[in-house]
Amino acid sequence: MNGGGIALDRARTALLGPAGLDEAAIGRALGELAGGGADLADLYFETTTMRSWQLQDGRVTQGGFSMRQGVGARAAHGGQVSFAHSADLREGALRDTVRAVRTLARHGDAGRPGQGIALNRDAGCHHLYPAIDTVDVRNAAAWITLLERIDQLAHAEDARIVRVDASVRATDTTILVAEADGLLAGDVRPMTILSMVVIAEQDGLRARGQAGLGRRAGLDGFDAASIERMVATAANMALNNLDAIPAPVGEMPVVLGPGYPGVLFHEAVGHGLEGDHHRKHLSAFDGKMGERIAASGVTVIDDGGLEGRLGSLGIDDEGTPPDRTVLVEDGVLTGLMQDRLNAGLMNARSTGNGRRQSYAHLPMPRMTNTFLANGTADPADIIASIDRGIYATEFDGGQVDIVTGRFNFTTIEAWLVEKGKLVAPVRGATLIGVGHEALRHVSMIGNDLDYDTGMATCGKQGQSLHVSVGQPTLRIDRMMVGGQAG
Amino acid sequence: MSTLLTHDEAALRDAAALAVELAVKRGATARASAQHEGRARIAVRGGDVETAERSGTQGLGLTVFHEGRRGAASTASFDRTSIERVVDEAMMIAAHVQPDPDAGLPPAAMLAFAGPSPELYADGPRDPDILLASATLMDRMASDVARTDPTLRVGESVAVATEGLWALATSDGFCRSARRSNDGRWSVMLAQDEGGSTSAFCQSQERRVEALTPPEQLVRAAAQRARTGLGARPVASRRCPVLFDPRTGVSLVSDLAGALTGMAQFRGMTFVREPLGKAVAAGHLDLIEDPFEPLGLASGGFDSEGMAGSTRHILRGGVVEGLFLSSFSSRKLGMASTGNADGFYNLRLTSSAPGGDFAAMLRMLGTGLVVTEFQGGKTDPATGNWTQAIRGLWVERGEVVHAVTDVTLAGQLPAMLNGIRAVGHDVERQGAIRTGSILVDDMQVGGKA
Repeated sequence: MNGGGIALDRARTALLGPAGLDEAAIGRALGELAGGGADLADLYFETTTMRSWQLQDGRVTQGGFSMRQGVGARAAHGGQVSFAHSADLREGALRDTVRAVRTLARHGDAGRPGQGIALNRDAGCHHLYPAIDTVDVRNAAAWITLLERIDQLAHAEDARIVRVDASVRATDTTILVAEADGLLAGDVRPMTILSMVVIAEQDGLRARGQAGLGRRAGLDGFDAASIERMVATAANMALNNLDAIPAPVGEMPVVLGPGYPGVLFHEAVGHGLEGDHHRKHLSAFDGKMGERIAASGVTVIDDGGLEGRLGSLGIDDEGTPPDRTVLVEDGVLTGLMQDRLNAGLMNARSTGNGRRQSYAHLPMPRMTNTFLANGTADPADIIASIDRGIYATEFDGGQVDIVTGRFNFTTIEAWLVEKGKLVAPVRGATLIGVGHEALRHVSMIGNDLDYDTGMATCGKQGQSLHVSVGQPTLRIDRMMVGGQAG
Repeated sequence: MSTLLTHDEAALRDAAALAVELAVKRGATARASAQHEGRARIAVRGGDVETAERSGTQGLGLTVFHEGRRGAASTASFDRTSIERVVDEAMMIAAHVQPDPDAGLPPAAMLAFAGPSPELYADGPRDPDILLASATLMDRMASDVARTDPTLRVGESVAVATEGLWALATSDGFCRSARRSNDGRWSVMLAQDEGGSTSAFCQSQERRVEALTPPEQLVRAAAQRARTGLGARPVASRRCPVLFDPRTGVSLVSDLAGALTGMAQFRGMTFVREPLGKAVAAGHLDLIEDPFEPLGLASGGFDSEGMAGSTRHILRGGVVEGLFLSSFSSRKLGMASTGNADGFYNLRLTSSAPGGDFAAMLRMLGTGLVVTEFQGGKTDPATGNWTQAIRGLWVERGEVVHAVTDVTLAGQLPAMLNGIRAVGHDVERQGAIRTGSILVDDMQVGGKA
């Protein structure tokens, strides 16, 4: 149970109490912020504590702790947004921050006190993740033991694993959103991320493997089996890469494995369907709503309400509960992701995609958990269908140019496929395409939908967020593969 | 006082010194740094202000060393209660972790108690009103340019100003602070024809407002880059020479510098192992580090351990003469710190081989690919495997034939660095790094069959 009264109580204790703020003071500040005829005005309070432990070469010799808090104040008049933020939450500082916004906005008399706003609406409860404290120092010994076990497991995988670095980072964020329409909503967001990098060495050659697990949970969210899988993934990637041959170059069919390779749809579809890019007519998909943009069978969904995934939010950073937005249905463009600002200007409603990196950043339409829905093909048949091409199972991020729709991503684990068989692992290669073209070349969709392991992040205009991506195994008939083997 | 800052240097020194003092009382040695930054940013598009932002950030970070163990903690508040909590947390972490004989403060005798502090701050108009006027002027110029060319559309014009303070205190009695400023302007332009849309930007970043590229030049450069991108098409897969323009060439320098950092070296996360004295790049190349350049974007009088860097050769004749080491990484490697706990300072790549302006470099390229933009890709630090999606220009006999997109470029960094034939005189600065365009003899281009 989270959100609703539970989160509000936590926010009062963690955020408002120490600063001597109460709801009446927030209402007064909001009133002044919204004065001068703002179409939208909100205050976003946040406190975040983080604890980390790092294992290097067999021993946990480093740890860290950080705490920060602050408030962001925003007022919008049409599409014009004024924003200021402060790490000081006391009422005097809050008033200064609000005045800075009023001055930037140049609407009305910045010195005039506004009418206080009654905060009489909340956003209700949710069950997506618990309102727990993962940063609690009493977990330290257990985390350190776990990191040491990861080191032992990795070395036990193969004698060629010569170095293991691993870390755990637990983050607790409590937020409180107050809006000029009377909403006061809170959320408690726990997050724990385990990550590791290994180096394998053989005959003077070295190769790298990486893996991780992210959960909106504490230590008890990491069972032994998933830890063992993570270690095996990192070790196998390094060992495979020891034998990697140069990747081929040129246009060829590509099979993308299940899970993280779904970043394809995040890049090739998702970013181009964020409301702000459409309001400004910048997206390559601008004006194509209702049109076929992908092969039939391609259904892409953004759903912020999947239990336990890192892109999930009980409420977004504007207090809106998340939608399940069908972006592409059976190949036809059907939906956009919206925040309050862009929805308001486009005569639409927010889909619960208003997200921000922190109180010091403005919210924007952002993805949550974005995935390609299951098809019917057997994954083995998809690989078997390739005469000569690439089978890629792990990528290291990706990018898209919103204006042109051109995207790319780089493999960190991939194989050369010939006559339906995996021939050899290949070195990292960049795959490129244009969103609407690549989508038309999707010819087989597997029945093995899976999600990333909790390590996916998304960057937009300098703001980084955790998201989730997913897909079943799929075949794209034509994609440009940029290897070194000419 | 500055319009952007709400603390002064003395307050930051006091906060850092208090954290150290409290840690010392608990029996630890320690260092603490405090930072504060104020920023204003105005973005204008098509005559309207899109966003106007004011921000103020601050933080204090403490590292303690106790009985051979280390702990680190940070807070965004400078009040005593928060600082006491940070000391508690750092000590508690030091009680949990295993000892590391290589952790600890640098020898006190090595600290930059005095010594030169390069100029990092220039007074200047940084009020939001000034920024608004500046962004509005650029936006108006962009509209004027767009009116003369139906393929062009106006994107954002942005003006941003930052002022910052930083203080460092250690239990060896070191306590110094620095003030810095940063001014930025950028212009985004879009171009569209029947073949599609493209966008491009041009930016200028300096520590002194007067040194910024004039707005009209920024707008015209962004427009020219956007226009140049029109009609872009792939070339066929092939091996050919490649010319990195100065903006993309920077990444070759930073990949090499990253491989020479202490962290990369002792973790083995580097494609050049035990590099001191080894030739890792073409014999005509020098790479020089200068921490003390006045108003340099990566200048500094001391690092976050209190040690000064030095003006020195990193590469001389392609041979590695220096690494970028902190006291921690240097101990791991059995060496001495170079005062680079925060990475590298200003770097300049130079060549004794014949170079020339961009046109001369195109002639030297002959027939091949010019890289003007990276669209995404990756360097594997452990192997030097290098792969990128790029935009650029196809050149034949020294003349630009057409813009290029939808191609990849791949190579192995050791071979690329050894294959550098020339560095142009068209030098640009991007952050810490200065280089001209870089001509590499032979790389794999991936394009249409």
